[in-house]
Amino acid sequence: MEMLKSPALTLEEGAAHLTRLLQEQVALANLPPNLRVQWDKWVQEANLQTLFWEQRHKEDWKYTPMDFLRFPWDVGLARRVSPPFSIPSVLPYAEEVDGVEKDLPALRSLPVPSSPWEALLGGTSSAHHYYIRKEGSLIFSVRGEGGVVPYLLTLSLAPHSVGEVWLFPSTEALMLLRFHLHVGQGACLKLFFPSYANEAQGYLYTILSAHLEREASLETYDLSTSREWRRTEVKVYLKEAGAKVYLHGAAYVDSKTTWDQAIRVEHGAPHTESNQLFKSLVRAGGRSIFQGRIYVHRDAQKTNAYQSHKALLWEKNATAYSRPQLEIFADDVRCTHGVTTGFLQGEMLTYLRTRGIPLEDARKILASAFLAEVIEKVPYEILHTEMYKVISSCLSSPAELSR
Amino acid sequence: MLTIQNLHVSVEGCPILQGLNLEVKAGEVHALMGPNGAGKSTLAAVLAGKEGYEITEGEVLFEGRDISELSPEERSHAGIFLAFQYPVEIPGVSMIQFLRAALNAHRAAKQQEPLDTAELMALLREKAALLKLDPAFLSRSVNEGFSGGERKRAEIFQMAVLEPKLCILDETDSGLDIDALKIVSDAVNALRSPTRAFLLITHYYRLLQYIRPDVVHILVEGRIMRSGGPELAVELEEKGYEALLSTA
Repeated sequence: MEMLKSPALTLEEGAAHLTRLLQEQVALANLPPNLRVQWDKWVQEANLQTLFWEQRHKEDWKYTPMDFLRFPWDVGLARRVSPPFSIPSVLPYAEEVDGVEKDLPALRSLPVPSSPWEALLGGTSSAHHYYIRKEGSLIFSVRGEGGVVPYLLTLSLAPHSVGEVWLFPSTEALMLLRFHLHVGQGACLKLFFPSYANEAQGYLYTILSAHLEREASLETYDLSTSREWRRTEVKVYLKEAGAKVYLHGAAYVDSKTTWDQAIRVEHGAPHTESNQLFKSLVRAGGRSIFQGRIYVHRDAQKTNAYQSHKALLWEKNATAYSRPQLEIFADDVRCTHGVTTGFLQGEMLTYLRTRGIPLEDARKILASAFLAEVIEKVPYEILHTEMYKVISSCLSSPAELSR
Repeated sequence: MLTIQNLHVSVEGCPILQGLNLEVKAGEVHALMGPNGAGKSTLAAVLAGKEGYEITEGEVLFEGRDISELSPEERSHAGIFLAFQYPVEIPGVSMIQFLRAALNAHRAAKQQEPLDTAELMALLREKAALLKLDPAFLSRSVNEGFSGGERKRAEIFQMAVLEPKLCILDETDSGLDIDALKIVSDAVNALRSPTRAFLLITHYYRLLQYIRPDVVHILVEGRIMRSGGPELAVELEEKGYEALLSTA
């Protein structure tokens, strides 16, 4: 934690330092020999300093504070911890498999890196690979301590299988999580990514990619009330007809907190469907960033895509950036998007107050109601309860004191 | 119960109410009629404590207490209820959640324990039946996707649940079909009591055929120009405002 208090490097120095640190970990990754060679090359070519001079990287990080690069990180330790609540899933644990020996679908579909982060994390992280044949759940509850913890997870779902993923990464330092999913034909996967305010307050950067085959479906639920810097990049490729993805995110963004979602959904085949529904409630000094892109290939006719981000600014000096983007190269598609940013509506507050509900209670009710559109879609009620509890408790504190 | 003396109210510097006097006693039903822009809804808003209305002169006493400095919630706890002309939608808050919070806030103000779920649901179902509302309505978000008529019925439903002393109905009859108007009127009549008063703001005589008022007032340019019994509404219906006031 001392390192967090004393940033010593410029951003470019820090980028060079972190690049070297990760490149030194190259032997860690558990990959088959043919991939190993390719990834070693990508790792050695990767340079985080390009974030500051290559236009596409600058665009991707335009609104995101990168102070975490200013610390002279060392390699940290990963410690398995208990999940913050009892997991309601009844599915058996997914099977962990050795990536070197098995020909895993998720390793075959692991995308070619499009950024130095992806290159470094794909080839240098501590890697674990999982497989679900019929049904299974994967619970990742790991705490990063003392420095940088890079992690690579892959999960392959066999055709027509059913799975659940529960992600609980936390850190007081810097955790870099690279997670790739391969959802086979007709398989269904639900992914839950909840984080709570009482967890560690470090930097958590997640790159989640998914490759969906015919009639496969993926649902993700990202619920955040954490007080860390949290950037999540989601890249979904709907490769074959009938594939569907539903991405949900609800965030309570506390003061001095960054909640950053960078999403790309790629429709690569006809009759594919995607839905992005994100909401963030932002306190003074907090920063909410949403960059969502829908990319429809020329052949992906009859695509149905929707994207929405709504930000509620709780106080003055709260910040929300929303950048919805559509790139459509097919002509018979339905793609819609919407973005709103604003303060709480005074007439709603007045209405509640005229029924006797005190001002602060009325504000809390409306805060929960704002996020409820997303929260109530989560299929497990324990996640609703936890989220509402934290929001209500956090909103009782003034923004300046709530950290 | 309600005493308004020489009330002057401005909105953004523009005078709306200009010396309004009104006395409403417990058990009475008063109808307030007037042309568009006369200040009827402004009076309702001022009584409920909505922001943006500045009292520049005069006073409003509720049960002998000056309410001008009270917040909307304090007025509600004191027993004032406004059925809105345009009730706002509150997505994500069910009618049950909303009324649980409202009822328990009222109970807390009286140092009473909160209602448990069984008591709450029994009360809500009883009042919903009064308004002939489907119980499924209780699970819907407040006013979200409601038709105009449903919104007005929902307002009277809330009134029935909270059992206020002074009920102000701001054009509750507008947007109601005949059947809905009868349901709403029956509910209001059922709530009439010697300890409760009503102020009905309306443009139309037809509401007063269902809810018979004790006193009818004609509000013009921020002042009450005439008051009388129910026959005044009949006369107004026959002559219109201009002719009625020119013969006053």
